[in-house]
Amino acid sequence: MSYNAQKTLPYRVELYRQIKRKRTLFAYAFVLSLPVIVASAVKFGPSGHSGGPTRLGSGTADLIGLATQGAANFTITMFYFATPFLLIAVVSLFNGDTVASEASWSTLRYLLAAPVPRTRLLIQKLKVSLTLSAIAMIMLPIASWFIGLIAFGSKPLQTPLGATLANNVAINRLFVITAYVSISLLFTAGLAFYISVTTDVPLGAVGGAIGVVILLNILDAISGLGSIRVWLPVHYSFSWFDALSSSIQWGSMVRGASYSIMTFAFFIAFAIIKFGKKDVTS
Amino acid sequence: MRFRLIAALGLVFTSLTGFTSSQAAPKDIRPIELTIQGAPGQQGAVGVSIDSSLYLPLSSSKTPAPAILLAHGFGGSKNSVATEAQYLAKNGYVVLAWSARGFGQSTGQITMNSPKNEIADIQNLITYLSTRKEVIQQGARDPLVGIAGASYGGAAALLTAGYDKRIDAVVADITWNNLKNSLFPQSIEGSNVAGPFKKTWAGSFFAIATLPNAYLGECGNFSKEWCDAFVNSLNAGKPSAQAEQLLTASSPSTITQNIAAPTFLMQGESDSLFQLSESLATASQITAAHPTTPLSLYWHASGHDGGSDESALTNQKTLQWFDIYLKNKSAKFPNFQVVNSNGTISLQDSTVIPKNLQSSVLPLSAKTEQIQLAPNIGPFTAPIGGIPAALSSLPGLGGAISLASSAIASLGGGASIPGGVVSAALLPGQSAVFDSEPLTKPQTIIGASKVKVHISSNRKDATLFFSLVIHTPEGGVKQPNGLVAPIYIDNIPQSGTDVLINLPAVVVDASIGDKIALAVSSTDQGFQLPNDGRFYSVQVTSPLTIPVTPIQAEITKSDFITWPVAAIVTIILAFGLVYWRRPRHNDAPLEDSDALVSVTNLSKVYKDGYKAVSELSFSVKRGQVVGLLGPNGAGKTTTLRMMMGLIYPTDGEIAIDNKPIYPGSPALANLGSFVEGPGFLPHLSGRENLNLYWRSIGREDEPMIEEALEIAGLGTALDKKVRSYSQGMRQRLAIAQAMLGMPDLLVLDEPTNGLDPQQIVAMRKVLKKYAKTGRTVIISSHLLSEVQQTCTHVVLMHRGRLIAFGTMRKILTRANKKVESLEDIFIELIGDDLTIGKE
Repeated sequence: MSYNAQKTLPYRVELYRQIKRKRTLFAYAFVLSLPVIVASAVKFGPSGHSGGPTRLGSGTADLIGLATQGAANFTITMFYFATPFLLIAVVSLFNGDTVASEASWSTLRYLLAAPVPRTRLLIQKLKVSLTLSAIAMIMLPIASWFIGLIAFGSKPLQTPLGATLANNVAINRLFVITAYVSISLLFTAGLAFYISVTTDVPLGAVGGAIGVVILLNILDAISGLGSIRVWLPVHYSFSWFDALSSSIQWGSMVRGASYSIMTFAFFIAFAIIKFGKKDVTS
Repeated sequence: MRFRLIAALGLVFTSLTGFTSSQAAPKDIRPIELTIQGAPGQQGAVGVSIDSSLYLPLSSSKTPAPAILLAHGFGGSKNSVATEAQYLAKNGYVVLAWSARGFGQSTGQITMNSPKNEIADIQNLITYLSTRKEVIQQGARDPLVGIAGASYGGAAALLTAGYDKRIDAVVADITWNNLKNSLFPQSIEGSNVAGPFKKTWAGSFFAIATLPNAYLGECGNFSKEWCDAFVNSLNAGKPSAQAEQLLTASSPSTITQNIAAPTFLMQGESDSLFQLSESLATASQITAAHPTTPLSLYWHASGHDGGSDESALTNQKTLQWFDIYLKNKSAKFPNFQVVNSNGTISLQDSTVIPKNLQSSVLPLSAKTEQIQLAPNIGPFTAPIGGIPAALSSLPGLGGAISLASSAIASLGGGASIPGGVVSAALLPGQSAVFDSEPLTKPQTIIGASKVKVHISSNRKDATLFFSLVIHTPEGGVKQPNGLVAPIYIDNIPQSGTDVLINLPAVVVDASIGDKIALAVSSTDQGFQLPNDGRFYSVQVTSPLTIPVTPIQAEITKSDFITWPVAAIVTIILAFGLVYWRRPRHNDAPLEDSDALVSVTNLSKVYKDGYKAVSELSFSVKRGQVVGLLGPNGAGKTTTLRMMMGLIYPTDGEIAIDNKPIYPGSPALANLGSFVEGPGFLPHLSGRENLNLYWRSIGREDEPMIEEALEIAGLGTALDKKVRSYSQGMRQRLAIAQAMLGMPDLLVLDEPTNGLDPQQIVAMRKVLKKYAKTGRTVIISSHLLSEVQQTCTHVVLMHRGRLIAFGTMRKILTRANKKVESLEDIFIELIGDDLTIGKE
């Protein structure tokens, strides 16, 4: 009988186990529905008319008001809509549900008794949940771009700061924004994953992570807290706005990305330590 | 309408007084109210009375301390700087605030910071400070003292520093370098002719000094000579010789060569009264005379036109400057700081948040870049009487109008202006716009641009207003902060004349696709305009020269080094933490024995103190079928979970094949288990579940999946989703999963739960057959008759302890009693004590 711990729970097997789940498909449908719903609401809504630009908001320094400018603007606006909740929900779902759902199905004990070493189980699961999260992150801008292209054409990106960026520049900026938003969501991913390890209730892990992030967002919005807020990991969730200046301002993004990676590293470390010492009773 | 006018006047008032003040913060420090004798007044040899407040630091241990003279803005008094005085005093300075002559409770008349009067008053104040024991003294009559002020007070600070060597540090905000050039701005390089009269601003000044004191007559508190100078200038539209003399005397430009004290100059970007170029002029004059004098420049988003409130920042930077140069604290203070109000967007309300930029060099000899402008453009007019006139900025309204107009501009057709622009700042028929090509890279302009133009007029003279504007692809025009560079030129020959224009210093971003443009207008409501109609033509004769200042975001260094390094260190720490806190397992093989499973002194106490298993020892040999028996809560499941490496024993150990068991122990590969019910992915079929499980467990030999499936006996249901299975089907599939790869040890917890009698019989056969191949089975069950038929050995547990252990036969013949069934034994041994676990 030969056993090789390095071959337990291979990446492809775990990916297959997760990707066949309904919630995975629902999450992606959820992400795709955002640009479709917004685009059709603007295009075919009661006040909508084809041709001239329809404005969602008002004012000149207004991101939402520029959504119908063209594909690039539409994509930016979708990021603006998705950053505070949708993406947090999706990332929390993938990373918060992954271990807790195994516990709730009772499959966790059979994997551990196989035996899949505990640290390896977490690492393999994390690889897959981050992959699924990354797919959602890439899906959002690509889908938004094409839907925006069909609905509003390919006019150059107009930023709320009054800059106009040609399409090739705009695509570079969208790459930067996608990468930054992905990295800044690592905090949420790490938090959800940590909670997932501590509980046997998948909904608790997902909801708990979303709740904490929303609470932090509320704290961040209280200006009375002053400079304490720069220590909230969610403080930098919109730093990608700096990629819309006439030249990219990296300062805040570097800070936000570093902070997100730091918190992620600690959450994962604590998750591994916690899980390694845990009595699995599920 | 009336309300608006009052509001606008109010705004003028507060912006002219410089620091907006008071009402904030409870006054912790009660100032000492003093009357200090100033220099003689206009009429007599007796000094005017200067009403002053002396703020001492709260704790006397902080004194003697450096002193700071705090000058107020035009129209204010010593009380308008109370907030700033409190702030500085709380930070350990002796602060002296006073009302300048002609303001507040001080006597005397306003002479606009004349060296003979206001500045001489301040010199008396310095002498007074030299008598206070709370102030650090550097010599006879020489206290350690800095001076700060904004607007009118800023000029007082600069002039005092020029006239009195005892000043040790200067901070001047939104003030003038040359008062004549501020009120009669002339933007032609090298011209000494007074420019167009800035009548609305001058009028506002005059109103502030005269309106509150109507009984003093039309001149208010102004001295006779200044009153005459204002009135004459208003009437003539240009300064009289006497006025020029007065304006020059009150200008720091006459004395900057004597300023050797460290000087911090602030200027507002939103300031059409004293433009950014005033601070540039002061800075370059001081640097030329004293190249080693510490000098720093800060352009903020505030100013006389309003802008955003920057008082928190300016107060903080003022304190920093004094800390460095009066208290010798070491701190980094960049030489040039700029607030780019076009920074980033607020998340809450989509407003624009300014961004702070900084540079280690002053923008005095900035590198330049040339931008080619469209040459042409035909003639335009100036209307008779100067009406209608363009609106760039007005006191109290700021550049708001021209900003708002950039939105309007995109809606209008705008064919009537050459260049295709409509804006309140650039009226059709009265203006022209000279565009560059659309930009191919973004451009941030910080400072003043220059351009050469050829001007011709149908009269001998010309009054024109040039500005640098950003022309967006949509046709909108951004005129940064509504700033214009006025020119007045006379004696123009018939063929026109060439001049070099200094455009206003601005801070503005231009994006790819935007055009940087030179705009010229023949009218502006802020200025005195010629009464007769004009006909001008302007041609651009040189590329536009724009400054290129190497400047970076304020937070750069810490962001690009500290944070990424911190992130990497954190990752390393996280790895270290995981390694340090990893569970440690003893992997050394145990003493040789022929037992397949040996349980030694096994105990488990849960966190809540519940003793589930205590000191359990037994061993199982190959080929045995062992029944683990006991009432509910006897610790059977806990024992099995420890055997699977799911739970850490509190004490004792388990070994399979003499190899210790712990979570993840390789010896577990030899164990197949079914404990406390099946566990499957509900969204996959039974077959997929078994396949994936096999591929997950890291074994590389034969899965013998067909044999396992035969045991499950699921038939076609195997390809249906597990979600649709009955309890019995899941149960059989789970047992099949446990048997995958035919492990040496099979652990089954209540395997017959939910099975039909036929299936139970079949299961019994399977298990017996399994054991015959030399493999071992451990079954826990409460169906004693079932166990009796299947098992060769029995482990009987109660309250976490071993009650009996041995072969089935030995157990059944216990105590020489001939008993028929396991049930009788069970009841005999345990009785009716069904207490769960141990206390």
